[in-house]
Amino acid sequence: MTRSSLRFLLVGMLAALAFVVAACGGDSNSSSSSDSSSSGGSAQSTDTGGQNGGKLTMLASSDVDYLDPGHTYYTMGYDVLLPTNRPLYSFTPDDAEKPVPDLAESDPQISKDQKTVTVKIKKGIKYAPPVNRAVTSKDVKYAFERFFSANVGGQYPGYFQGIEGAPTKPTTGVKPISGIETPDDQTVVFHLKDPTAVAFSAALVMPITVPVPEDYAKEFDAKNPSTYNTHVAFTGPYMVENDSSGNLTGYKPGKSISIVRNPNWDKSTDYRPAYLDSIFIRTNATDANVAARQVIDGQSMILDTNPPSNILADLVTKIKDQYTTVPSGGYRYFPMNTEVPPFDNINVRKAVMAGFSREAARTARGGKYVGDIATHWLPPNFPGFDEAGGLKGFPDLDYFNADNEDGNMQIAAKYFKAAGMSSGHYEGNDEILMVGANVDPGKAQAEVAKNQLEKMGFKVRLRLVPQDAVYTDWCQVPSKKVGMCVGAGWFKDFADPQSMLEPVFKGSLINRSSGNINYSMLNDPKVDAAMDKAALATGEDRLKQWAAIDKMILQDAAGIPFIWDKTTLVRSKNVKSVPNPYIALWDMSFTSIQQ
Amino acid sequence: MSTGTEALIDSEQNEPVADAPTGEIAARSPMELFWGRLRRDKVAIVALGIVLLMVLMAIFAPLIVKLFGLPDPNVQNIDLLSDFGQPTGPQSGHPLGVDSRGRDVLSRVIYGSRVSLEVAFIATALIVLIGVTAGLITGYYRGKLDTLVSRVMDLFLAFPVLVLAVGLGVACADGCLGGAIQPGLMVVIFVITLTSWPYMARIVRGQVLSLREREFVEASRSLGASDKRIIFKEILPNLVAPIIVYATVLIPQNILYEAALSFLGVGVDPSKPSWGAMISDATDIFQDAWWFMVFPGLALLITVLAFNIVGDGLQDALNPRTSK
Repeated sequence: MTRSSLRFLLVGMLAALAFVVAACGGDSNSSSSSDSSSSGGSAQSTDTGGQNGGKLTMLASSDVDYLDPGHTYYTMGYDVLLPTNRPLYSFTPDDAEKPVPDLAESDPQISKDQKTVTVKIKKGIKYAPPVNRAVTSKDVKYAFERFFSANVGGQYPGYFQGIEGAPTKPTTGVKPISGIETPDDQTVVFHLKDPTAVAFSAALVMPITVPVPEDYAKEFDAKNPSTYNTHVAFTGPYMVENDSSGNLTGYKPGKSISIVRNPNWDKSTDYRPAYLDSIFIRTNATDANVAARQVIDGQSMILDTNPPSNILADLVTKIKDQYTTVPSGGYRYFPMNTEVPPFDNINVRKAVMAGFSREAARTARGGKYVGDIATHWLPPNFPGFDEAGGLKGFPDLDYFNADNEDGNMQIAAKYFKAAGMSSGHYEGNDEILMVGANVDPGKAQAEVAKNQLEKMGFKVRLRLVPQDAVYTDWCQVPSKKVGMCVGAGWFKDFADPQSMLEPVFKGSLINRSSGNINYSMLNDPKVDAAMDKAALATGEDRLKQWAAIDKMILQDAAGIPFIWDKTTLVRSKNVKSVPNPYIALWDMSFTSIQQ
Repeated sequence: MSTGTEALIDSEQNEPVADAPTGEIAARSPMELFWGRLRRDKVAIVALGIVLLMVLMAIFAPLIVKLFGLPDPNVQNIDLLSDFGQPTGPQSGHPLGVDSRGRDVLSRVIYGSRVSLEVAFIATALIVLIGVTAGLITGYYRGKLDTLVSRVMDLFLAFPVLVLAVGLGVACADGCLGGAIQPGLMVVIFVITLTSWPYMARIVRGQVLSLREREFVEASRSLGASDKRIIFKEILPNLVAPIIVYATVLIPQNILYEAALSFLGVGVDPSKPSWGAMISDATDIFQDAWWFMVFPGLALLITVLAFNIVGDGLQDALNPRTSK
């Protein structure tokens, strides 16, 4: 009998345990509510009255891709680049649409024929140790030239191949570009093949324009891959810690980055206040929940990216004064592969656009606080947004406008009928392969998308794979015939509508072997022609033309844009910081700590 | 019953006779003895009741859900989520709350029993089939075949089981073995079977090795019985007790195994309700939505506990010596 009573005891204990656990869950709600402060108001003005000094810690869910300005092409890389290096032009926290001169002295001068761009650079900007010399225009020229070399591997050559003599393929070794001239130490002149100076000037905010001293970098760039990534010469108010030979001792990949002041930085040449003494970035804070709680409850910390939606709920309803939101300048969408049945039928695609609840998809990402529901492609706070109908979009497209954000099955039925399906639902047998990430929010979004498609009668096979594999192994490989790629998004490279639409939807850019980002496989000659024309337009006409292309892509039903993201940024109580709208992250060179 | 049941009667005779009734002696079959002992174990009977309830719940899941007026387990209702897309707790119409897609937790817990039991029973049956066959053959014939199969078993046992299972689960996510294993439930069953059969085979093999040297087998052999007769009529009946006991241990083990695989994301189709997957989804938001984890957790716990207790009860009833 002793065994039997022991068993009863065990059952009782487990039941009690469940109670304790339940009580614990309820309890934490009430305890954290007592933390809430009355100071309220999440919006912060960009006033710059910060205190000097202090050490800031950033908890980051991932590492930078590269520190090398010629190689980085990822927000986290830009976030470290902005306080440590100086592109020709960059964005202050105040204005997301118009950049200010940074390394450059003034706005670029564009010739009458739109084929020459001249940039003057400031005097008195010096490299950090161990280079210690003044920046010259030749360093900018070298930065462009090395970008195209295979050893460096610049990732957005499309924006700069318009320069005369620019390589069309990665070069072996650094090759001179005839279209870049440096008449004196403060002047760079770019000669372009076509009259595309407006778009080209807008692209001069990209990290490719960060000066690189050839005399110092040559030996690193000779290696394949270039080792300049661990020997970067800095020009900003801060630098990654290094030793006397320039080796970046403060950069521990996958672990941390320590950033200190650059002793050669001259405050009078820069718009950045640079209050902090040092910055420490923990790049392995992968548990989003833990990291967010640490930042909220801790001191002198910021978070690199969105908190999980349960913590967002606490921030908005209880904590209130430790976050700010900033438009991410991009769209998230569900592309529909126009080459794979059943999405090869345009009426089926339009029916899906009509019946799909974007509201449900947004809720899966955290609800209305994570962004506005998209009604077209070009996002808010971005050139061309108003021309494309603003938040209202295009009311004349009955299958996709501001009135069917929660999905409208009647309109969907109309288009299913147009596709020959009289029941008003999908009637075919083609199974849709859907690929998404195996972690939230990608997973949540995938489950919602699957549900939405099943609601309309589709058969869906959902594959959840690790985040990095979603694109590189599936969506970017046309031969995998992914019908719908979940979690696709496109975010601005610079403030110009061309960069928002062309890479994603231009038919001539489809890459059939790999690395294809036209997930919809949209190949509409009319869209391509309109893009080629709009690329040369300037001023208001340029915005109107790209807004028209925005609509054409909707008419082709290439995908369902469902959210224009806002990024929610989180900080500790004693941190005073402002977001930079260009990267939609905290701007560390404007951040201060209240002592 | 065949001669093989000697073992049971034999063991009964070894019991102390102190409290044996002095009255009339009635003949009782081994089955009656077994039932008599099992009935006395009240806890095991309660646990057996729970197990039966769970099985009924799994079989009649759609009916039960309809009876309670609950939505289907895959109905996503965003109106039940907060402004932040967070699930809401127990409320009228949704007694156990909803999950982060707005799906009813009770409905999913009820349907989840289907996945758990389906996987557990099918995998256990396969493990018993393969394990017993392999154990019988290797134990009885020994020789080179035994060496070969035993080394294969050693190989399987040397692998870290969960790591192997996760690897196989990922590798078979699109189906494997030339399409014989379809993605979904079959992959989970395949993985569990593949990694668990050697344990069964080992136990059976050990028993067979000692049984084949016993007198009644010797006697049978000297009478000219064929191998087939000796294996099926003499040895196998004696294995019934350990096989039943081990199978009942395997069932809860496999339920947990399935839950673990689903928790790690290599389990069933993510939209299919599974307790393990529910617990996994709930971990991130446990502080804000305890109901989402507690109820599937309790269901898992009660089911596994009940099966374990039934297993213990069966062992005691079939083999009373071991419990003393």
